[in-house]
Amino acid sequence: MHYQTESWNSHKPTKSSSSSVITDPLAHIERLASDNAVVIFSMSTCCMCHAIKRLFCGMGVNPTVYELDEDPISGKEIEKALILLMGVSSVPVVFIGGKLVGAMDTVLASHINGTLVPLLKQAGALWL
Amino acid sequence: MASHRIEESALSDFGHIPYAVPHMIHPPTTFTNQEGSAFDFGELEEAIVLQAVNETKQPLYAGRPAATLEMFPSWPMRFHHTIRGSSKSGEESTDSGSAVHTLSSRGEGSRLEPESPVGRKTDSSSDHRVIDQMHHLQLPQQIDMASGSDSPRTGMSQAQPVAKPTSEKRRGAGSNSERLLDAKTLRRLAQNREAAKKSRIRKKVYVQQLESSRIRLSQLEQDLQRARSQGFFVGGGGGAGGNISSGAAIFDMEYTRWLDDDHRHMSEIRTALQAHLSDGDLRVILDGYIAHYDEIFRLKGDAAKSDVFHLITGMWTTPAERCFLWMGGFRPSELIKMLTAQLDPLTEQQLMGIYSLQRSTEQAEEALSQGLEQLQQSLTDTLASGSVNDSMHHMAVALGKLTNLEGFVRQADNLRQQTLHQLHRVLTVRQTARCFLVIGEYYGRLRALSSLWASRPREILIGDDISCQTTTDLQMVQSSQNHFSNF
Repeated sequence: MHYQTESWNSHKPTKSSSSSVITDPLAHIERLASDNAVVIFSMSTCCMCHAIKRLFCGMGVNPTVYELDEDPISGKEIEKALILLMGVSSVPVVFIGGKLVGAMDTVLASHINGTLVPLLKQAGALWL
Repeated sequence: MASHRIEESALSDFGHIPYAVPHMIHPPTTFTNQEGSAFDFGELEEAIVLQAVNETKQPLYAGRPAATLEMFPSWPMRFHHTIRGSSKSGEESTDSGSAVHTLSSRGEGSRLEPESPVGRKTDSSSDHRVIDQMHHLQLPQQIDMASGSDSPRTGMSQAQPVAKPTSEKRRGAGSNSERLLDAKTLRRLAQNREAAKKSRIRKKVYVQQLESSRIRLSQLEQDLQRARSQGFFVGGGGGAGGNISSGAAIFDMEYTRWLDDDHRHMSEIRTALQAHLSDGDLRVILDGYIAHYDEIFRLKGDAAKSDVFHLITGMWTTPAERCFLWMGGFRPSELIKMLTAQLDPLTEQQLMGIYSLQRSTEQAEEALSQGLEQLQQSLTDTLASGSVNDSMHHMAVALGKLTNLEGFVRQADNLRQQTLHQLHRVLTVRQTARCFLVIGEYYGRLRALSSLWASRPREILIGDDISCQTTTDLQMVQSSQNHFSNF
């Protein structure tokens, strides 16, 4: 599990508006998600995020974690975008292989019905 | 007149031993039950004695079963219409008050006339009047029999030859018999009267208690109806007394209903398996059962919104279930472990599927447990830290953290639901049906264990209680047999 902090800025668009740091948060999220096999948007204080991190680590996966509350610049924007994307809560949100998987309930459901492991293997996050 | 018939059948046995009846009077309760109004045994006794007078006029074995009835003027109402001076000879009167008939035919009825049956019951002075009459009746031998003969038959056999010839003599002054009538009979009649009075009073009190209980019961039922319609579960069902929240009460009620539905589904699956239905039909039944489980998870989700503590502490389950509770319900990996022992004939693919299901549930449980642990740690930090000044702020933060509990319970239920769905996918239709039966039976037994444990005898009870305990044990075991009947 590795946490991304400074490298976020490398993805900032060249044209930046005065109001928002990121013009297109969703695209930003997509870019961040496609960088790694498993990407988790989380918050350091959120216990459900802790649970989801534990789940992937327990499976032997090494997810890339973005702690939104530790990003003073774009954290809030991404959080708002995630709420728009997910509808209910912002974190945790999981991307595997650049594709959106969902929050904890979908991750658990896919793990139980046996679709999570093949997805991870396909994304190159698991070798077994 | 059912009571009349009862009286006949009961008394026909005594047809030939009229004088045995006084001995059978005690206990009086048997007779009081046959009649709505109270039965005065004092009057019975007197009537028997009076009947003896009657017997002198006719042979005892005249084949008149009605004679026995006449000796039992137990229905005082009969006294009413018997005082009409009808002649007795040869008349098969089934009227039990005909003893009075004879009295009236003798002209003694004049003294009975003014007495109403009610009056007879309540007015003891009337009894004295009857006794006065008996004084005049001069029944030496019969009274001897009535006054405590142990062999009524011999008494009767004596009475028989005596009856006829002494019809004239009985009016004679037998000072001996008069004294006997006075001393023993009087005392016994008085005792009977007292007993009859006591039984009347007891019966009245009992009926009053019954009436008040009935009223109270109907009131309780009304309250319960009203409360249920309002969605509250009245009574000690949850064991929480009055401290149960409305959301929790509603859920408890719905859970009880769900349990009843569960029983229904289980028996449906059981009969379907035994009837060897086609896979298609069985699948329909199983889909219904899955939907039944989806229902409870949905209900739990709603309950988690209003009262998460009620769910997570397991107050909605039985104590035994509560002991092994994991995050507000059953632990999916434990369920799988329990099932693998029951589902022996599995294909290789199925075995793999079950094994991977077990592993993934274990991983998911571990993740959720760790998440909950972190929540608890964070909450502890919040509550432990902070000065007195910041207490309100810290409380607000702590409250915010508590809201995460609902999320964990929901994820745990989600895990349970997914586990059941996956089981249905991995196994064949018949295997799934057996599987569901095993699960249902298991929890039924766990619930039964809970109640058995609660009602087990304690060591501190000694002496007389021990015998009661063993019978209770037997009853408990027998009552729980049905839980173990199917597997």
